[in-house]
Amino acid sequence: MIKTTIIIFVLFFLAFCGFVVYDLTTAKRRKEVYRVKSSATAYLLLLPSVVLAFLFIMLPILYSLGYAFTDYYLLDPDNIKFILFDNFKELFEEISEKGMLYNAIKNTATFVIGVVPLQIILALLLDLFVNRPGFGSKIFKVCFFAPVVISLSVTAFLWQQILAPGEGGLLNSMLSVFGVPPHDWLRDPNTAMPCIIVLSAWQGCGYQMLIFLSGLSNIRKDLYEASSLDGANWWNKFWLVTWPGLRSTFVYILITVFIGACRIMTQPMLMTGYQEHTVTLSYYMYQVGYKDYWVGTSTAVALLMTIFIGGITLIQRRAFREK
Amino acid sequence: MKRFLISIISIILLLALSLSMTACGGDNGGGEGDDFEIDENGNVVTIVKIMFHVDKKSTEGQAYQKRINAFNAEYKDKGIKAQAIFKARTTGASGYETELTNNKIEGTLADIITFDAPNTAAYANSGLLYDISSLIPAEDQEKFFSLNKYNGKLYGLPIQESSAGFFYNKNIFRAAGIDVSAYTAENPWTFEQFKDVCARLKAHGVTAVDMRLDATKDETAPYLLYPFIYAAGGSFVSEDGLTAEGYYNSAATQKGFQFIKDLVNAGYTSNSIGPTDFFTGKVGMYLSSGWTIPELDNKYRENFGSRDGWGILPYPKDVTAASATGSWSYAITNNHHADKTAAVELLKFMTSAESSRAITDATGMIPARKDAVKDYAAGSPEYTLLKQLELSGKERPVTVAYPTFSTTFNQIIYRLNNTNLTDLLNSQARELQKEIDKVKDR
Amino acid sequence: MDNNIKNMPNFRPNKAPARKTVREIIYHVVGIVISLAFILPILYMLATSTKSEAIYAEGVGTIKMFLPDFANIGVAFDNYKNVLIDYDIWKYALNSFIYAAVVIVLNILINGLAGYAMAKLTFPGKKLLSFLIIFLIVVPVETSIIPLYSIVKVMLGLKKQMSVIGVILPAAISIFNIFLFMQFFQNIPKEYEEAARMDGANTLGVFFKVIMPLSKPILATVAVFCFIGVWNDYLWPSMILPAANDGSWPLTPIQTALIAITSTPNITTGQVMASLVITSIPIFVIYVAAQKYIVQGFGTSGLKM
Repeated sequence: MIKTTIIIFVLFFLAFCGFVVYDLTTAKRRKEVYRVKSSATAYLLLLPSVVLAFLFIMLPILYSLGYAFTDYYLLDPDNIKFILFDNFKELFEEISEKGMLYNAIKNTATFVIGVVPLQIILALLLDLFVNRPGFGSKIFKVCFFAPVVISLSVTAFLWQQILAPGEGGLLNSMLSVFGVPPHDWLRDPNTAMPCIIVLSAWQGCGYQMLIFLSGLSNIRKDLYEASSLDGANWWNKFWLVTWPGLRSTFVYILITVFIGACRIMTQPMLMTGYQEHTVTLSYYMYQVGYKDYWVGTSTAVALLMTIFIGGITLIQRRAFREK
Repeated sequence: MKRFLISIISIILLLALSLSMTACGGDNGGGEGDDFEIDENGNVVTIVKIMFHVDKKSTEGQAYQKRINAFNAEYKDKGIKAQAIFKARTTGASGYETELTNNKIEGTLADIITFDAPNTAAYANSGLLYDISSLIPAEDQEKFFSLNKYNGKLYGLPIQESSAGFFYNKNIFRAAGIDVSAYTAENPWTFEQFKDVCARLKAHGVTAVDMRLDATKDETAPYLLYPFIYAAGGSFVSEDGLTAEGYYNSAATQKGFQFIKDLVNAGYTSNSIGPTDFFTGKVGMYLSSGWTIPELDNKYRENFGSRDGWGILPYPKDVTAASATGSWSYAITNNHHADKTAAVELLKFMTSAESSRAITDATGMIPARKDAVKDYAAGSPEYTLLKQLELSGKERPVTVAYPTFSTTFNQIIYRLNNTNLTDLLNSQARELQKEIDKVKDR
Repeated sequence: MDNNIKNMPNFRPNKAPARKTVREIIYHVVGIVISLAFILPILYMLATSTKSEAIYAEGVGTIKMFLPDFANIGVAFDNYKNVLIDYDIWKYALNSFIYAAVVIVLNILINGLAGYAMAKLTFPGKKLLSFLIIFLIVVPVETSIIPLYSIVKVMLGLKKQMSVIGVILPAAISIFNIFLFMQFFQNIPKEYEEAARMDGANTLGVFFKVIMPLSKPILATVAVFCFIGVWNDYLWPSMILPAANDGSWPLTPIQTALIAITSTPNITTGQVMASLVITSIPIFVIYVAAQKYIVQGFGTSGLKM
C-alpha cells in the first residue's frame, strides 16, 4: 500500500512540475518575471499544508477512486483484487430492488430538500428580525443562537428524550394537554424524517443567522438612506438593497448548508439506528464500509456521491454568482 | 496581550509535547515488543494476552482478574504469564467490536479474545480465529453444554451459558389473583396461556410485560426474542447457514413475529416502558437474562422484599418449546504468535471447572461446563433457567453473516408496528441472503 | 453593533410615538414566542440536570419540566459530581481541550502560512493551487472517511496510543481555512508589509509581526471553528482510538465518551442531562467570547466562492 502511495505522490509531483513549467513559459512569453527567492519562500510556506492535504484529503479521494473498483475487505487489506464495475453493478441492483441504498438516497434527498430551504429561510428571517437596536433584540439573538452551541450528538440525545414514545415523551406529554394521543415520532416512517429535519434546522439556523448578520453589516448604510428618500417601502428596500448585498453570503450559506445536509449521519445514527426509513447515504457508507467491512462497495457509493454533490454545487455557484 | 499569547502558545506546545511523549511511551509499553520478559531468576517468561469485553471494575471483570492472578501464581515456575486487557463493551459507536477490528488491522490482536458466540462463523470466516479442534481433547469438549463450531471445526469455548426467562413480580400476581405455579421449565406454558396471563395483568391495571422492544440498538433484542420464532416452528436460515430466503420469510417465522406484534396491539407491552419500571412495580413481567438475578438480589432487594417477591417463568411454547441460549466465549486468535502453546494453557485454565464456577458465582449465569453446575433447589430461578437450557435451549442461527442477521432482526422489532409483516420479512430475508452470498463468495 | 442602527431597513426616526410603542410590543411578544421555541429544549435539559429520577417523573407533562428543582439543590450537585468524577467526564473534557489546543495552533501556523503565500507571494503554479483549493472545498471530503481510516491504520500504521496523531493531523489541515486566510490577507493593504520590509524583516518576520496582529478576527474565527470541530467530533475518534482501557488515562475525547456514558445502564435522566450540559458549556463560552470576531471575520473575508 505504501508503494502505491509513493507512486501516486510522484505522479502528483510530476503533474505539479508540469504546471510550473507551463506557467513559467507563459510568463516568459508575457515578459513577466518570477523572482526565484519569492517563489522558493512560497513553496516552503506551502509545503506543510501541501503534505498534509495530500495525505489526508487528496489521498482519500484518490483511494476511494481506486478502491471503488476492488473487493477491498477491511479485515483483509493484503488481499485486494480488481473487480472492475461489480461494485457499481451491485449498487444499481440494490437501487432497483428498493433495498437499503434506495432508501438511503430517498431519505438523504428528503432531508436535503426539506432542510436546506427551511434552515436558510429561517436564518434569513431571524437575521432580519434581530437586526435592530435595543436590548430585546440582543436577548433574542442569544436565544436563537443557543442551540448552535450544543453539539449534534447532544442534540440527538436531547431530541430523543423530547420525541420519546408513550406518555412519558416530552412532546407527547405537551400535546396530551390538547388531547392529542401519544405518537411514536421516530418509529413512524411518516414522521421520522420530518422530525429530523426540524431538529437539524432548529440546531443549525442560528449559525447561519450570524453569518447573514455579518453580511448585513457590510451593506453600505447610505444605500438605505438613498432608497428612503426615494420613498421605497420595506419590501423594496429588501429586494433592492439588502438582497443584492447578501448575495455572496447567501451563495456561501447555500453551498455549505447543502454540502452539510448531504452528509447527514449523526442524527439518524444516534436516534433510530440503522433503519429503512431514516438511513442516509453517509450512514449507509459507514455501515457497509466500516461495520460490514466492505470498503469497496462503500467507496463506490462515496465516489458516486462526490460526483453528484460536486456537480450540484457547481450548478449552484453558476446560478447564483454575481454577474 | 502579546506576552499572554506567547505564554498560551508555549503552554499548549508543552502539553502537546508531553502528550506525544506519553503516547510514544505507552506504545512501547503496549506494543509487540513485550511478548517475553525475564523474571528475577533470569528465565524467559512468555506473556499471553487475553482481552475481555467487560469493565475491570465490574463484578465480572474482577472475577476474571482473580482467575488471571490464580493462573499467574500457578504458572510462575512454568514460564508463562497472563496479562488481562479490559475493554468495556458499550452500546455506543465505539466499543469492543471496534477495538477488535482495529486490533486486527493494526496487527495487535491479543492471544485470546472473548467474543459473542453467534459471531463464531463470521469471525472464523474472516480469519480472526484460530482452529483449536486438535488442541482441545475430545473428552474435554464433551464436558461443555455448547461449543463454538463452524464448518465442523472448533473455534472457541464458552465462558458461561446463559438463559433468559420472564421475571415476574409475585406481589402483583398475588394481588391480581393469578396463579402461575403450574408453568415450569419442564412443563412450559403455551402462547395462549401467556396471552391470558397478560390480559389478566392488564385488567389488574399494570403493564403486563416488558418485552424489551426498545433494546434494538445492540444484541439485546435479538437475544431475548428469537426463541419466539423457533417456538412458533419458524427459523431464520437453513441448517448449513447458507440460505435465508424461504426460512426467514416462512409462514411459521411470520407467526412468531406476529405473536409479538399481537402483544403490542393488545396493549400488553410497548416500546415505551421505562428501564426501571419492572423494578419499581409498574410492570408485571420482564423478559431478561440471568444477569438480572444479582440485580434483584442486591440493588432492588428492598422493592421486592426477598426472593419471595419475584420468580422466573419459562419461555412460552407453541409448536415446540424454545429458549434463549448462548453467551460469550473465549477464542485463540490468528495473531503474530505462531506458537499457541502458552495460549492453549491459559484457555484450558480459564475454561476449567474451577474457573467456570468462580466466574458464574459472580455473574449469576450458568456454568459452561456440566461438571461445574451446582445443585439448585427445584423451582428456584436458577433451576428454571438451567432446566430450560437443558430441555429447550436453542442457539441463534449459525451464519457467516451473523452481524447482518442481528441488524435485520433489530429492524423487524423496530418496525413491527408500522409495516406489513410479510413485506418486511421478505425484504429482510433478501437482505440477509445477499450478505450471506457476498461473504461466502469472498 | 451601533452602526447597524441605521442599517436596519425599517428604521423610522419620525414615527408617531403611540404607533411605535404598539409596534415595539408586538415585536417583543413575537420575539419571546420564537425564542421560547428555541430555548425550551435547552431549558428542559438544564432543569432536568438538577433533578432526581423521582422528581423528574413527577414533573413530566407539566410546566415543572422546564423549571429546575431548587428544593433539593444537593441532587443537582450530586448529578454533576457523579458524571464529572465517577464517569470521568473531566478526563475526557481535558483530552478534548488538549486536542483542540494542538489543532488550533497547528491549524493557524500551517494554513495561515499557506494562505499568506497564496495571497501575497507570486510563484509559478499559483493558478493551479487556487483552482485546487476551490475544487477541494466543493468536494465533500467526509465521504472518504473509510479510505482515510485505511490510510491512518494501514498505511501510516498508527496503532494504540499513537492513534492520537490520527486524530490531530487530519484536523490540522483545512482547505477552507486556507481559503479564509487567503481572502482575509488579500484585503490587507500592501503598505504595511512594505514598511516592515524596509526595516529589514524577512517573509516570516512580516507574517508574524505585521500580518498576524492585523488578522485577529480571522484568527479568532479559525480558532473557534477548530475548537468546535474537534470538540464536537465523535465518529472519527471512535473509529481510530483504542477503547477506554482501565487504569491508564483514556484517550477518548468528550463526545465519544458521552455516547458511551449516556448508554450506561442505570444512569438517571438527571445525570444524562448533566453530562449534556457539561459538554455544551465550553462551546457556549467560546461563542460568547468570540462572537464579535466571527462576525468581523466573515464580514471582511467576503466569502466569495
